[in-house]
Amino acid sequence: MKFVDEFRDAELGRALAGEILSQVQPGRHYKLMEVCGGHTHSIYKYGVDDLLPANVELVHGPGCPVCVIPMGRVDDGIALAHRAGVIFTCFGDMMRVPGSNGSLLEAKAAGADIRMVYSPLDALRIAKQNPDREVVFFAIGFETTAPSTALTLKRARAEGVANFSCMCSHVTIVPPLRALLESPDLRLDGFIGPGHVSTVVGARPFEFIPADYGKPVVIAGFEPLDILQAVSMILRQLQEGRCEVENEYKRVVPYEGNLRALEVMAEVFELRPHFEWRGLGFISHSGLKLSEAYAELDAEQRFSVPGVRVADPKACQCGEVLKGVIKPWECKVFGTGCTPERPIGTCMVSSEGACAAYYNFGRFAREREVV
Amino acid sequence: MNTLPTPDVACGSQHCITCGDVGDPRTVVAVDRDRELALCAGPDGTRSTIEIALVAPVVPGDVLLVHAGTAIARLEDQP
Repeated sequence: MKFVDEFRDAELGRALAGEILSQVQPGRHYKLMEVCGGHTHSIYKYGVDDLLPANVELVHGPGCPVCVIPMGRVDDGIALAHRAGVIFTCFGDMMRVPGSNGSLLEAKAAGADIRMVYSPLDALRIAKQNPDREVVFFAIGFETTAPSTALTLKRARAEGVANFSCMCSHVTIVPPLRALLESPDLRLDGFIGPGHVSTVVGARPFEFIPADYGKPVVIAGFEPLDILQAVSMILRQLQEGRCEVENEYKRVVPYEGNLRALEVMAEVFELRPHFEWRGLGFISHSGLKLSEAYAELDAEQRFSVPGVRVADPKACQCGEVLKGVIKPWECKVFGTGCTPERPIGTCMVSSEGACAAYYNFGRFAREREVV
Repeated sequence: MNTLPTPDVACGSQHCITCGDVGDPRTVVAVDRDRELALCAGPDGTRSTIEIALVAPVVPGDVLLVHAGTAIARLEDQP
């Protein structure tokens, strides 16, 4: 398909890998963070890291919206799902995220009416089909997904769908990046910026990274050639002593973002004073809730939600993985106590999570390295 | 998406299109301008209803980048 096949061309990939090899200085170690879970997934799926020189290391950032949802939030969702008359809807990967007393999938097996949807619009359709039931949509995701939820809430209000509400767990990308950059144990040379978040927010919100922290950012697409090109562009900036935000993904990302999406988000959402991130703790102004104008569609106001806080399991090192301090396989329970079938931490649940991506696509390559 | 214990939660591909920062190119087949919805086809011909408020106006043949049932951008050739 157009816009896909040309970005998977093996010959061009080899040429880019050669260019990258010529850009690195021997003896220098380069540590680049891909912010987005979608990049992590592509890197392992297409073996992009195998094409890079040994001294270019890719570190996996916090950009998986499932991985960052804390356990207490899952427990809150399960409590809502168990209420009589409620149909609880959420995206597929969210169903397997462990709470302190099981996952949404287990709650479904225990009798709660929990349904997977592909879009918020699907959840609204379920509400229209079941006017005698309360339908709650568990909204997760970064700025890529938030406009979709916002449009659905506007549509629900316009169409008078009174039995629809939203448990909003949307998060924003800039505050956790700033928190990461403030982390003393983090050493990075540059960032591969999130492609589809940037489609919505544009490139401007990332300008603080070169300005305040002196690190280059290259916003990249998700095909293997996009990622290789982004690595090459970061290395070129480092080589030339430049430090700025560049956009590799111009075919999709306008520098100013999608203004209509930003407008609808500003109308429907407002920032929470703080939001808890798995592994990163509470981060100020990093989560979204429904604005006063949409309060009647806020499930947390319509129902009493316990607001549970649960500490992460002790064995789980998702926090260090999310910060890029350790690689997935360096976690004590990776591939043994924690697998995609029986995850302990959320990085193993979502296919965009660093641990699941490594487990599914990278473990055999790593075994070869060890041999 | 990972292997899942029940078929109704499987996305049918290797990763979930909705929960990550994932966008799928889809071609517009027909447009309902009043409701700001479009019928779109994926690379495998699968058709679905897509919210187009963020990219409207669109016409049949346009290729959109779709995330969680919403078109977030129009795909265009690199300048």
